[in-house]
Amino acid sequence: MSADTIDRRNTGLMTGLLVVGAAIAVVTFAIVAFALISQGHAAFNMDANVAWGLPIATYVYFALMSSGLTLIAALAMVFGFKQYYPLIKRAIWLAIITLVAGLAVLAMELGHTFRMLWALPLNLQIESAMFWMGVFYLLDLIFMAWKFQMMERGDWTSRLSRQVGIASFIAVLLAAGTLALIFGMMSMRPFWFDPTLPVWFYATAALSGVAALVFFTYLSYGMDRSGMPEGLRMDLEGPLPKLFLALAGITLVLFLSRMTTGLYANAPEVNVVWSDYLLASGWFHFAVWGGILLPFVLLLGRGMRNAPGVQMLAAILVLIGMFIERLYFVVGGQVVPLFKGTWERGLVEYAPSSTEWVLTVMGIALVFALYGLGERLFNLSDSPMAAAGEEAAGGQEAATSS
Amino acid sequence: MAKWGMVIDLDKCTGCQACTTACGMENDTLPGENWQDVLFYTEGEYPSGRMKWLPRPCMQCEDPSCVHVCPTRATYKDHDAGGIVFIDWDKCIGCKYCMIACPYGVRFFADEAPLVEPDLKEIFPGSGGRLWDPPGQSPDQNRKRGIGVQPKGVVSKCTFCYHRVSQAPEGVPDLDEDDPDLVEYVPACVRTCPPKARYFGDLDNADSNVNKLIANKKGVRLKDHTGNRPQVYYLGAGAGIPAFKPKS
Ligand code: SF4
Ligand code: SF4
Repeated sequence: MSADTIDRRNTGLMTGLLVVGAAIAVVTFAIVAFALISQGHAAFNMDANVAWGLPIATYVYFALMSSGLTLIAALAMVFGFKQYYPLIKRAIWLAIITLVAGLAVLAMELGHTFRMLWALPLNLQIESAMFWMGVFYLLDLIFMAWKFQMMERGDWTSRLSRQVGIASFIAVLLAAGTLALIFGMMSMRPFWFDPTLPVWFYATAALSGVAALVFFTYLSYGMDRSGMPEGLRMDLEGPLPKLFLALAGITLVLFLSRMTTGLYANAPEVNVVWSDYLLASGWFHFAVWGGILLPFVLLLGRGMRNAPGVQMLAAILVLIGMFIERLYFVVGGQVVPLFKGTWERGLVEYAPSSTEWVLTVMGIALVFALYGLGERLFNLSDSPMAAAGEEAAGGQEAATSS
Repeated sequence: MAKWGMVIDLDKCTGCQACTTACGMENDTLPGENWQDVLFYTEGEYPSGRMKWLPRPCMQCEDPSCVHVCPTRATYKDHDAGGIVFIDWDKCIGCKYCMIACPYGVRFFADEAPLVEPDLKEIFPGSGGRLWDPPGQSPDQNRKRGIGVQPKGVVSKCTFCYHRVSQAPEGVPDLDEDDPDLVEYVPACVRTCPPKARYFGDLDNADSNVNKLIANKKGVRLKDHTGNRPQVYYLGAGAGIPAFKPKS
């Protein structure tokens, strides 16, 4: 039934996204695969000091964006804020594809990806946060796909549909939380060691999720709100930008508290990382002041907040800023060399290799391609209200065709 | 079963790196990927500044954080093998979480840009999934315990020369390189050390020389606040790590 309701006006753009995105994804995949085959992991710049670099940061970026999108969808799915319904189908689709993109990047980074498929389930190392992260993200993916498929069938609110929504919300809390604890539980890495790290991950996940939702929604409608179904348009004129503002504000407060604690700490593994690595970098300053503070300020006034251009600008700033933040976060925990002697007295220097950047581009291209595909195949702006309206209009026809 | 431990006397160690070289030869490690290394530090400032150094194998921790984090149990502590921590190269997925979690920085992915030029991986290309095929390879290969030439995509580390130690007669309190009956079972670094700064023995044996040294000469473990409880002890002045201070 939904194929009939797809807004076809923009399918040209979406087909373009799909084709160009897929082409870039294939080419970048081939480049990385060739580099890995010919040079091994020497194609990446990680070493014994910085074991996790840009590929892991890219994975964290996409995985948390996915989690944030599900958290936003949960407002309608779980907490019953009905006005968010017109957003959730697109949010869940985006959550699925960003997670897939993140996992694809991760798969290229691991030393033995295929071995993981049997070594994880056969050894059940329940002591490892990484094991649980795998379990929870897998559940998350399954529940999201299930929920999406139900929405696609027009089942938004049946008992089972609601239960699956709740299950994916719980899975995502556990998944993003364990991802945080992979870092947060490492007492030998004081920069990361923080029992409240899941809070920071949830907040930044939701912020990047809302930014992705705003960005892709406007992309689908060519910045033109008048072409949107009414429910969706109303969301973008009120509740969504307000949520965006609130999340930017929360993230800003959390960031300031993290920065203050970090700078105040005497431990060099924390303090030096903040003063000599994070805050010594123009990119990092751009990420926080341009990627969190500026969007917050832009969205503060009501008039500005509701302007599509401002929303789009804020979304793009957040999407770029968060990416930089993830990279500095992941590398920051490793720049003070562990037990390496004077030969390494400075901070460890790490800059991603070109292959690492190509891998990141692969992830981004995958998201765009799959988004184009989603817009071609499904009506991502569908909502129970739209369905109800339709049924009222042409009830019998819908009833016979479904 | 023994609980193997190492004692390193810093008052005797000259920082000559013979242990590092012996380890590399014994275990076919790539240059720079030193399972055993000697770390040099400067501590303090003029006029009381001084240089210090300490040899650093894997500590074979009693409570090893590398084991807790490994999602596949590839890294494991074998109490039936002297409490040594091993890596099963057939299970390791190369996620490198253990490298993040080891406070002592003693784990090596090695499938990376060469640390020392020329790149021996190019000069002696590896076969059968190995990183390289060094000339004059050690005959001891045991993928289940991470012994031998390191394969691609996995992590490696010091095994206390398990392939030697495991051949020792049951119940010996110490493996002393001066004992002709035992010299072949002594870890390569211990056997090589010119000033005899390294000792190897059974920490569970009350009569072992290593236990006596730890007791009488006030042996300490490095970074004890991490709770990993190394099975490697240090004697003498300077058994500690200066706090990190970047060069200004
Ligand atoms: S020193 Fe590191 S690698 Fe060795 S057992 Fe301890 S935590 Fe594991
Ligand atoms: S790199 Fe290998 S040994 Fe280390 S945690 Fe991952 S699977 Fe375990």
